[in-house]
Amino acid sequence: MKEEVPKQHYSDKQKQQVFDNEFMPHINSMYNFAHRLTFDEDASKDLVQDTYLKAYRFIDSFQQGTNAKAWLFRILKNSFINDYRKKKKEPAKVDYQEVETFYNSEDVDRQITPDLRVEALQDMMGDEISNALNSLDVDFRTVIILCDLEGFKYDEMAKILDIPIGTVRSRLHRARNLLKEKLTEYAKKMGYKNT
Amino acid sequence: MSHQPPPSSGTPTTCIEMLQVILDGDATPEQQAQFKAHMEGCMPCYKEYNLEMVIKELLKTKCCGQCAPPELIERIKTQIASNAAS
Repeated sequence: MKEEVPKQHYSDKQKQQVFDNEFMPHINSMYNFAHRLTFDEDASKDLVQDTYLKAYRFIDSFQQGTNAKAWLFRILKNSFINDYRKKKKEPAKVDYQEVETFYNSEDVDRQITPDLRVEALQDMMGDEISNALNSLDVDFRTVIILCDLEGFKYDEMAKILDIPIGTVRSRLHRARNLLKEKLTEYAKKMGYKNT
Repeated sequence: MSHQPPPSSGTPTTCIEMLQVILDGDATPEQQAQFKAHMEGCMPCYKEYNLEMVIKELLKTKCCGQCAPPELIERIKTQIASNAAS
């Protein structure tokens, strides 16, 4: 987040209050986010713990009453990129050049004629939707998590991810289309021939 | 509203882009009303809207349920208490 936040000077008691009342209520969302990023229980625990310890260490940079959830999500996302992903030596980014080229083709934007039916989705009682989400590259997966699972707005996502709002919008658009593509595959496997 | 593909940024000018803004939770009440009125006469938009809303709902119900393990919560609280004391 680029805007300057005046440094706070909390007493120890106030720090504890901010931590308990504004940070801890988001722990389930944080754990869910960590798990969707790492797919590993121990790594998720470490990531969440690390995030909360950092949040406490830098608590004077947090202005009470502002968006604690977005602040925490941003710390977790940065920890994931800087610490966890480096350790795992995973590629840092989706190859956007390749993705842009693919998605600038007419086929992908022609989403107005749905080839996936609501009935097929309603029959997906198992883990199909979760698996479809998990199959997306991390940058696409992340925007869906932030928007559809956690309800963040464009401006909040832009701050969490350090990208312009226009990029958030286009990334979400692509992520939704990729998700539908995956769900269409599942629907076909389930026997919906004319999905 | 036309069915042209959305421009990369700016105010939504096509129904595809308007649908996107609605799905993303960033539409104003006026934009929502405008899209709803458009949908009543446009079957492709109506179908696409319903499909996307079902996916959105499925994501919420199937992908949000994980709770942080109690021992993690305890571990964090203990660490914070010891940091505060030092």
